[in-house]
Amino acid sequence: MNRRAQQPETKQVEHISFVKPHIFDVTPDVKLLWMKEVPNDTVRLDLFFDAGITRGNKSIPAIVHSLLLSGTNKHSSVEIHERIDALGGFLDTDISFETAVVSIYCLREYIREISNIVADAIQNLAFRETEVEDVLRSMRQQFAVNQQKVKYVAQQQFRKHLFASNPNYSTISEESDYEDSNVMAYKKYWKEHYLEGLTRITLVGDLEVDEVDALIDLFGKWAVDGKVEHAGGFQFRAERIDFPKEDAVQSAIRMGRFLFPKSHEDYIDFQMLNTILGDYFGSRLMSNIREDKGYTYGIGSGVMDMNKTGYFVIVTEVGKEVLENTLKEIKFELDRLQNELVPEDELDLVKNYTLGQLLKSADGPYAMLDMYNGVDMYGLTLEFYDEAIRKIKSITPERIRELAKQYLKFEDFLIITAG
Amino acid sequence: MIAFNRFKLENGLTVLHHFDSTTPMAVVNTLYNVGARDESEEKTGFAHLFEHLMFGGSVNIPDFDAPLQRAGGESNAFTSNDITNYYDVLPIQNIETALWLESDRMLSLAFTPKSLEVQRNVVIEEFKQRYLNQPYGDVWLELRPLAYKKHPYKWATIGKNIQHIEDATMDDVKAFFKAHYHPANAILCIAGNISLDETKRLVDKWYGDIPASLKPERILPKEPVQTEYRELTIERKVPHDAFYYSFKMPERKNFEYYVADIISDALGREKSSRLYSKLKKELKLVTSINAYITGSLDEGLLIIDGKLSDGVSFEELDKGLWPLLEDIKKELMTEAETSKLLNKIRTVKEFQEQGLLNRAMNLCLYELLGDANGVNEENILYQSITAEQIKTVANQLFTKENTSLLRVKSIKE
Repeated sequence: MNRRAQQPETKQVEHISFVKPHIFDVTPDVKLLWMKEVPNDTVRLDLFFDAGITRGNKSIPAIVHSLLLSGTNKHSSVEIHERIDALGGFLDTDISFETAVVSIYCLREYIREISNIVADAIQNLAFRETEVEDVLRSMRQQFAVNQQKVKYVAQQQFRKHLFASNPNYSTISEESDYEDSNVMAYKKYWKEHYLEGLTRITLVGDLEVDEVDALIDLFGKWAVDGKVEHAGGFQFRAERIDFPKEDAVQSAIRMGRFLFPKSHEDYIDFQMLNTILGDYFGSRLMSNIREDKGYTYGIGSGVMDMNKTGYFVIVTEVGKEVLENTLKEIKFELDRLQNELVPEDELDLVKNYTLGQLLKSADGPYAMLDMYNGVDMYGLTLEFYDEAIRKIKSITPERIRELAKQYLKFEDFLIITAG
Repeated sequence: MIAFNRFKLENGLTVLHHFDSTTPMAVVNTLYNVGARDESEEKTGFAHLFEHLMFGGSVNIPDFDAPLQRAGGESNAFTSNDITNYYDVLPIQNIETALWLESDRMLSLAFTPKSLEVQRNVVIEEFKQRYLNQPYGDVWLELRPLAYKKHPYKWATIGKNIQHIEDATMDDVKAFFKAHYHPANAILCIAGNISLDETKRLVDKWYGDIPASLKPERILPKEPVQTEYRELTIERKVPHDAFYYSFKMPERKNFEYYVADIISDALGREKSSRLYSKLKKELKLVTSINAYITGSLDEGLLIIDGKLSDGVSFEELDKGLWPLLEDIKKELMTEAETSKLLNKIRTVKEFQEQGLLNRAMNLCLYELLGDANGVNEENILYQSITAEQIKTVANQLFTKENTSLLRVKSIKE
């Protein structure tokens, strides 16, 4: 027998150790999560703020976020960055729907000093006129560039129409947002959402406890007062809307619908359905639309978690001439999951694959902290993952079909195309 | 410090073993010593197209991905102008599946016409998505042939044009495999909680019987020393004028490569860098500006790129930029500045070394450069750089005759 024709024996992942971080109460509502066991000198500190893009209009959340390190009365933005760079530190900032994050990456000997610089920069932000102008100029230019990307247009329009019932969530950026500065409004937003808006701190690094206490003292003064409320109950219309772009050679597709928050009983099972449909290289969408038809470089699906809900979305960019065929094939795959049982062989593969990926997601202090944070933010515990392992191992083809019938009807989707 | 063992099979395969008992995952990384620079000028984009075909089934295994996914793993690859690198990440208990798959596709591919036809389409869509359907997406297709006249770096890994990919035939594919995909032209790294003995046993089991082939000789056209200033202006429907200054810099094996890297950091890596603070913040000539190196193994490029502020001309930028390049040629860098740049490199290095995959890839790359242990010496090389060396290399880099400038002029519909 040809030994090369036979796959070596494989074993399903049996056990995954999930490590809980040390938890400090900054206030009754704001925590610091700390993963101490790091085998080298690296440190990452993340500050989470109740300052996502849905917390204000006219792009104010994004503008203020970009201005955070733009200078105090004492130090210009270049000087602030100069000081952080001198200590070998890196800053990263990120803004999403419901959260804004400021992250520091550095070696542990410098975390205290860099934190002091960042704390001072945000606390004493001066909104210097030239800096505000500079940020607005850059953002205006980036906005113009983004308008030429079909992917970006589809993404923005998808958001606008999916969240149609709530203006805070559905309002997308416009060029005029960056034309005239409104420092009064920026200041108000900064005070409310940063100086009184810290929602949590996460920390990875082999530090001493008193260093962690010092960070809590330093940043704790920004803690939000009370629990942060988020919106839910969004309504949208299932329809197709096209945004033509004449000279485009590809069209972007964004299509999806609302689901449920992470705490919902169908969440984990639905993730299995999502993986089969579009969340790994061998998924049905990839196999059909890329690997069989060659219509695209990539197609995928995913679940976006929000505080009160979550939504499902399919994302791709395809040759303009095959847009209609692609939509037809997506419908075909959605229908097939509703009408036919997933073969045991395919389901077993997805089970093994998912468990392997879960093992990888818990590998190392950085990954593990993100994983913990990914449930704790939604009020869940590590039990979520133990339950996930049980559910992944026991899910049946019938259950997959039932979920597909409930959640994956083509006619329930909002479909946006651009290009 | 990344510890490793090295051994070689009789068929010429170089194997690196990196032990890490702290992770439940394993990495199997395979570097093939072939990139877009090994293509003929009439058939560009081939190394990259071929990378796609490597996932289309091998001689004994019809599907590459499914068995790996069944083992809880996943795989990907990338092609550059210099190399093609494949990696598998999976739970350590199933590492043998990765070796089985990788060794079979080193032995031979399935070469099905369907796979070729589909991947041609996929790559054409990739070409459109990344190069044609993005504002400024095609600048590298223009900049490379401006900066290089003879060396194959004059085309991008995706290829000179779509036509070359459309025209690829099965015979081309087979010839490419025969020339470049065999043990003597590959470096394999196995990383994870696995002993050296077990690694040797498994590698011998799966790779030992792959026939040896001669290592292909690489004779690339040498790029003549640039002696004239070059510039090209293209017009595109993009929102703003953009500029790409490129300067030839030393090859990877050369110490000056690292010095040029530091120079690019000094000029435009961070928000405290020279170009950023002067041209963006102070003079407001640009809305964005960056400096970086292409990182190629042969003579590469140091790039300064960015976008002009509204109402600023290319000439005004040029007048603002050159004095700053003259500064770095004339004045010795202060110790505060060099120490800032070297501190950043230390941090980056420390973070990079965290990832098992990163370690495995870097070991392979340094082995290709001559010795995998180079990965442990890189930081020492950087930290040894002096202000005098920075000044000397800056003088070599920043001359008009060493410059190729691409301007993208914004035109309305």
